Amino acid sequence: MSADEGLDMLPIAQHLALTQALYREARLLDQERYADWLALLADDVRYRLPLASRRFRADRSAALAEGPGYVFDDDKGRLTLRVQRLESGLVWAEDPRNAVRRIVSNVEIYRADGDGEAVVHSVLEIHRSRIDAQQRRLTAARTDRWRDTQGHWRLVARDIRFDHPVVIDSNLNVFF
Amino acid sequence: MKPYEATQPPQDYSRYMDLEEGWVDRRIFWDQAIYERELEAIFARCWQFVAHESQLPKNGDFLTTYLGEDGVIVSRHTDGKVYVYLNACPHRGNKLCFADEGSARRFTCNYHGWAFNTAGELTGLPSEQEAYDAGDIDKRQWGARQARVESYKGLIFATFDATAPSLEEYLGDYRWYLDAFVDNDEGGIEFLPGLIKSYASANWKFGVENFIGDAYHAFWNHDSGGKAMMGGPFPPYDPKDTFHASVNGHGWEFSLDGFGDIAILGSQEVLDYYAERKAHMAARVGELRSRIFGSLASAAIFPNMTFLPGIHTFRTWLPRGPRKLELRIWTVVPKDAPQSVKQAINKACNLTFNPAGTLEMDDGENWEGNTRTNAGWISRHEKLHYGCGRSRRVEHPQLPGIIHTGQVNDANQRLFYQRWADLMNARTWADVPQRYTPRFAGRPTR
Repeated sequence: MSADEGLDMLPIAQHLALTQALYREARLLDQERYADWLALLADDVRYRLPLASRRFRADRSAALAEGPGYVFDDDKGRLTLRVQRLESGLVWAEDPRNAVRRIVSNVEIYRADGDGEAVVHSVLEIHRSRIDAQQRRLTAARTDRWRDTQGHWRLVARDIRFDHPVVIDSNLNVFF
Repeated sequence: MKPYEATQPPQDYSRYMDLEEGWVDRRIFWDQAIYERELEAIFARCWQFVAHESQLPKNGDFLTTYLGEDGVIVSRHTDGKVYVYLNACPHRGNKLCFADEGSARRFTCNYHGWAFNTAGELTGLPSEQEAYDAGDIDKRQWGARQARVESYKGLIFATFDATAPSLEEYLGDYRWYLDAFVDNDEGGIEFLPGLIKSYASANWKFGVENFIGDAYHAFWNHDSGGKAMMGGPFPPYDPKDTFHASVNGHGWEFSLDGFGDIAILGSQEVLDYYAERKAHMAARVGELRSRIFGSLASAAIFPNMTFLPGIHTFRTWLPRGPRKLELRIWTVVPKDAPQSVKQAINKACNLTFNPAGTLEMDDGENWEGNTRTNAGWISRHEKLHYGCGRSRRVEHPQLPGIIHTGQVNDANQRLFYQRWADLMNARTWADVPQRYTPRFAGRPTR
């Protein structure tokens, strides 16, 4: 049995509620309801997107341990600041608005060690229809930690991993 | 190996601009034939940044990058020296190394297994005795093509042009400005690990010219980011004590406030660190250069390396055809700064100047628009206005290079395109005119 197989599932009601929370989160972001999205985040949230370099499999040299570059390495304060910018009315690159559609898939939910917390794996595909009819598709894997706060799930940590070592767009004006 | 034979310029590229009148023809941002000449006349000829010493601390460390569209391996060999050579096997031409970076003892081609050491020398052929007869191959003649490698205060540059002037002459008096950033402290700078790469559907020159002199766009384009980072709009533009400096097509636009760009990082710890360092900095590079560093400023080394000194971001704009570029971004920190200051700079750089950054996010869209509208036949044959500040040239007692007053200006951009045309029209380096009077020829700038 591999390490993954013995993990605890949540009771079905909690499992469903958390799955719904993931879909709802995606819809809030698609609809640019940023204040509602921020309310889904725990005050101690850690939100990160590193960009890993391509290395040879056998390469164990030190630079790998020194860590990647981060596109996002944010706490709630920094995420709030990004939202303030988006809502300033001065973001010309988003006007007219870019249509963004998020597809959440491959959801796995397990009980975490922490009190009332769950580990959630998911795959996110973002379809971004930018101004001037440019289409972009971004795919990412997410490993989250969510916390049950009096019946409401709050995002505590999100580690986002791109499949490509290059940001394939000239800007990343989206949350994952 | 034999040097490449330079070809005649296929046309006169001066006709794509009139810098006295202040315009540039849009076709240079779109045309495939013009781009092909750029690959030869600019990217196969000019010194280009490939790495900083701090990225290759140990023998065997390597990274892969490009000179123009020529892939190269940059590696520190067992003799401790850095070599730069084509990332292509001389047997059938396959790419030798598909990794971005790491540590290696050799590079082995996937196709037939030809092996090269970290100096790019051909060291091994599979089944050499059985497959090849005496005289079939002289391995010493069939290593990867070597580029010339020279460095300036930790910045490593390379060129495939055996006839190019020395890096020192190529940078010229621009070294005086560069010192304000890379040599304002005994320890100099280091590049932090964590390269960020992104693509944009834009001509490479738009990224470079933005950094070489375009202070103008910040006030309007970055209004949202400025408000988010500083809690209010950028201060209104005040041309007093602000400048454009240009040397050999390199450029630096700046004010003398000393802290404007550092403030954009939004970290009190970083501001305090530099407030404390300024007196030492002035003693090392002079009072004037201690004020140039950290001010509202942006800069570029011809053809495609740019940086924001006070923001601590370095980048290269790799051409991917006339309508696409690959941007590579690093955070740079003072080597001797406390770890917490380095981390604060890195986190602030990530928040402001990368593809998801609160300031940079506004930029790429513009350069893509600048490029894509050239699809129209009429649009493509229009002129773009580069006439701002045409009569502001001054001689300055302390500032070397070609100086214009007022950092909102097209002066550095015009001189960038002049250098571009000079190189595009030149058959050899001897044809490239010297456009400024050096003050530091043959001697150090600090």
